[in-house]
Amino acid sequence: MTTLTVNQAPLSWWQSRVMRRFMSHRLALLGLVMISTLTLICIVGPWLLPYDSLYIDLRARFAPPMTGEHYLGTDPLGRDIAARLFMAGRISLLVGFIAMILATLVGTLVGVIAGYRGGWISAVLMRTVDGFLSYPSIFLLLALSAALKPSPMMITVIIAITGWMEVARIVEAEVRSLKEREFVLAGRMLGLSRAHIMFREILPNVTGPIIVAATLTVARAILLEAYVSFLGFGIQPPLPSWGNMLNGAQQYLATAPWLAIIPGIAITVAVSSFNFIGDGLRDALDVRNDGG
Amino acid sequence: MIKTSRTGASYSRRQALRMMAAGGAVGLFAPQLLGKPAFAQTPPTAPTGRVVVGLSQEPTVFNPLMAHIEVDDGVNFSMFDALFRISPEGVIVPNLALEVPDQTNGGISADGLQWRIKLRDDVRWHDGQPFTAEDVKYTLELIVNPDFRAWRTTGHALVRDITVVSPTEITWRMEEAFAPYLNFLTETFMVPKHVLEAATDLNENTFNQSPIGTGAFKWGQRIAGDNLELVANPDYFGEGPYIEQLFFKYIPDNTVLYTQFRSGDIDLVGQAYISPDNYAEAATLPERVVTLVPKTSVETFYLNVEKPQFKDRAVREALYLAIDRQAIIDALNYGVPTVTETFMPKMSFYYNPDLPKHEFNLERAAQMLDEAGWLPGADGIRVKDGVRLSFANSTTAGAHLREQAQQFIQQTFAEIGVEMTIANLPSAVMWGDFWTLSQFDSAMSGINFLIGADPDVTNRFHTKAITAKGGKGSNNAQYSNPEVDALLEEGSRTFDPEARRAIYLKVQEIIRHDLPFLPLFANTSVFGQKEGLQGFVPNTNTRTESWNTAAWYWA
Amino acid sequence: MSAFLLNRFLQSVVLLVIVSIIGFTVLNLMPGGPMAQYGLDPGMTSDDLERLKEQLGLNRPILVQYFDWAWRLLQGDWGTSFRDGSPVLSVIGRHIFATLLLMGSSTVIAIAVGTWIGIRGATHRYSAFDYVATIGAMVALSIPTFWFGLVGIYIFSLELGWLPAGNMYTIGDGSALNYLHHLIMPSVVLALVHIAIWSRYMRTATLDVISQEFVKTARAKGVPERRVLMKHVVGNALLPMITLAGVQLPSILTGALVTETVFTWPGMGRLFLDSLGYSDFPVVMGLLMFSAILTILGNLIADIVVALVDPRIRLA
Repeated sequence: MTTLTVNQAPLSWWQSRVMRRFMSHRLALLGLVMISTLTLICIVGPWLLPYDSLYIDLRARFAPPMTGEHYLGTDPLGRDIAARLFMAGRISLLVGFIAMILATLVGTLVGVIAGYRGGWISAVLMRTVDGFLSYPSIFLLLALSAALKPSPMMITVIIAITGWMEVARIVEAEVRSLKEREFVLAGRMLGLSRAHIMFREILPNVTGPIIVAATLTVARAILLEAYVSFLGFGIQPPLPSWGNMLNGAQQYLATAPWLAIIPGIAITVAVSSFNFIGDGLRDALDVRNDGG
Repeated sequence: MIKTSRTGASYSRRQALRMMAAGGAVGLFAPQLLGKPAFAQTPPTAPTGRVVVGLSQEPTVFNPLMAHIEVDDGVNFSMFDALFRISPEGVIVPNLALEVPDQTNGGISADGLQWRIKLRDDVRWHDGQPFTAEDVKYTLELIVNPDFRAWRTTGHALVRDITVVSPTEITWRMEEAFAPYLNFLTETFMVPKHVLEAATDLNENTFNQSPIGTGAFKWGQRIAGDNLELVANPDYFGEGPYIEQLFFKYIPDNTVLYTQFRSGDIDLVGQAYISPDNYAEAATLPERVVTLVPKTSVETFYLNVEKPQFKDRAVREALYLAIDRQAIIDALNYGVPTVTETFMPKMSFYYNPDLPKHEFNLERAAQMLDEAGWLPGADGIRVKDGVRLSFANSTTAGAHLREQAQQFIQQTFAEIGVEMTIANLPSAVMWGDFWTLSQFDSAMSGINFLIGADPDVTNRFHTKAITAKGGKGSNNAQYSNPEVDALLEEGSRTFDPEARRAIYLKVQEIIRHDLPFLPLFANTSVFGQKEGLQGFVPNTNTRTESWNTAAWYWA
Repeated sequence: MSAFLLNRFLQSVVLLVIVSIIGFTVLNLMPGGPMAQYGLDPGMTSDDLERLKEQLGLNRPILVQYFDWAWRLLQGDWGTSFRDGSPVLSVIGRHIFATLLLMGSSTVIAIAVGTWIGIRGATHRYSAFDYVATIGAMVALSIPTFWFGLVGIYIFSLELGWLPAGNMYTIGDGSALNYLHHLIMPSVVLALVHIAIWSRYMRTATLDVISQEFVKTARAKGVPERRVLMKHVVGNALLPMITLAGVQLPSILTGALVTETVFTWPGMGRLFLDSLGYSDFPVVMGLLMFSAILTILGNLIADIVVALVDPRIRLA
């Protein structure tokens, strides 16, 4: 992020314009409010509730929502769903964020190198991107989570592995179009190192698309975590995640539908927020609409 | 009409034993044992109607001798015949053979080495060719053919000098006396020599996708991924078939399987059966019969006793005390399964009912660990000689009832200073090397300890069956006790049921004391069928619900 | 044109090689393997398992296995399934119909509904309808498909009892109506995401066309609004949609995977998961290659069609 400080002065004017455009995008604003509220609830919530998310009480199993102090009911082991939902939110959001950061780092690195160097390096890197993209990401996800010992960090890494390609593609295309521009040529004339040109001169000009892609990657990561944990290969119990709260819920659809409905709504709200924000950012940053 | 009953344990074990010993009487009882209840209405004279069996896994292997899984057995039993069958009561009865050989009728020599089997002369393959002793010889030789991807070879590998005496008589010699072999032969289906001999490749040929057997049903058609249709064989030599079409429908999701049973799309809920969660509701459905059927598998908390945490018997005993088994049975499994203290199925003649009873007692568990020198460390987890009492527990990901039990056990273990983490894996990983080479700390699973209905458990508890130590077998707990080894060796050489019983009662007693696994409960399946379906009888001595489809009919 | 095709062909070959290497590596990284299905069978001794591994050629070094597999593939032999011993292509072939049926019907729904929403949104820009459609599309993209399926089953199968909870047809009733009845829920669930995507593309495409001169001219000439839309807008907006359709061809496997699982639909997605579950490597690899080839073909067809339709684009 040091690059931003270097270029602070010339950037400040468009930054404010972007801010203005973003703030005038009502949907993006809604997304921002939604996700902030959700995050806040997930952080504060567990302290406000009288129940521990891990406490098993078989006498209280399958309590429907709004019974006694169990506002959202209880699960098959008698644990308070509200408490679990908030704890799960912390984990699912964290997994989404960290996976996004990892995926964005890798994707940006690959994209910048492939875009700037061109030639066979680019060919190899970009065909690898295509290769990864032509897989069902679920295949990679399931195979990798089976191959590696399941832990929250591992799941995050695995999700990142399946999600860096989009960023790489976008960055590569941008960098390729930028590398013949005057300021890059000037840098080369001045004898600046390749790394300096790539990461100090070109990269700052690609931050817009990267930020948009990153926002959408969070949304995607949350969805993937949900699916893989739903299948039982992701976050392991007793640690709750929105996905593993849905694991087994199918079995109780007829008798305890709230087990399936509540975490699903949380996931949808979180993912929608990021998609709203991403859409707003795309408009504000004037990023061409492709891929996402 | 609502009918719910527990079946399976109602017959007399003594009686079964007498029949098993007295070879002559067996033939007489045979038709009834093959699953036709005495009170039933008479079946139709010509095959009519169809039955749809719902299965949660897809049958894909149709050569009955090739490596296959449980769910393929229903098709095998319907399309093929073995020399013998095993009745729900555990009695071996003739099928393609005329009588069950034993030491009194001369079928098996006194030393257990010479076998002589007489065959029926009225059996024809689905293509009209007669079934003869040549087919039996071909089948037994094919199983041990090193190029053939055979299923189990235990027992078959001991067979030597197969001789066809006449089209209806065959003899062979056993390399060593092996009592369980008779039982294994009830799951060894005969395949046609004239068809397979013509195939260019033993493993990949047309027989695999349109097999020819001698059974009550012939191959119909298969819609891969959805269903398999078999049609009645009107020339079947035995009883039945009474239904015209038999469908095995693949429904990979338990909820959908149950929903389709409720809606009437399927007539019988087969393998995986009805989840205990749905038992109470299923029992109230109109025009459906729901039955609790004890299974041969035991739900176990398996311990890898070579791990430093579990080497100490006191730890294993304390962990057993710290499991609230009754709550797992009553609350999590809706009272469907039953308590047990041993690996032997309750309905077995060899079951030992006099083992010490488990109790849930956290104080005694903690006290026992204290006395054994496992004392709480700084983080509250017990330690002894640098070993933390912390371990992982694994099972197949997605088995929701088992996962609930895991988390429940995790909580009570934590109360006595034992840390259990959960690390579940997809089944393709869980039951691979991780399990067979004993790489797990502890595991949870429903384990079938017996091969067929024979009480021999050499494969599970003998020292030489520890694969992780270069042995051959499935002793995944790496359990080793010389006394048990000696007893098991004696048991597999002994043919007399009473003498064997004494041996296996003792084995169970020692295992219960040593606790290489903690028995949680005896599994029980919830069977569901439509009311009018007659002739359906569960048989826990086989791996399938569809072992006697020939006798099914609609009333 | 031929230079373009040659270049694309070479690139495709490289891509297929990369795909196969990644697939083979990941599959072999996975501990367990095809023997796991017998892990709980008390009668299968370790000797039996070793023998089977040997017979299936799984004891050879991974590189040898890979080159053996690749060499056979080059000769047109896709291998045989570990599970049922039949050729991989015929295993895949037996599951294609179900997937095509599901994809086909959901595509019809997606195009019909998506086109309508998109055009209406564009012609009634900034209306309440447009806003709802915009928000709706984004929410639709945010709903986990498997969860949406579960909610559908809960409402329409368990509570209302209107629709079957799964499967393609009822045994004993092979009528078209029965298939249709089973198709409704899975194809709508699968279509949801596609409706969202189609409608966004359609809206943008329509907006582009509306602002162009010939549409304004047509309007000025007094051609009825509806006819202007049908003739010019739809005709022109379909071009980018062809591209999109081509690019989405490979989702025949990925897109249907989750839906087929939730609704126990006997298609290729289900086959893929089952094969992965039994570590049936030849079938999994076959499906991966099949999907990669579809991806390449999809992209290629889209490029060629666009080039043929639009004279401004020339393939170089």
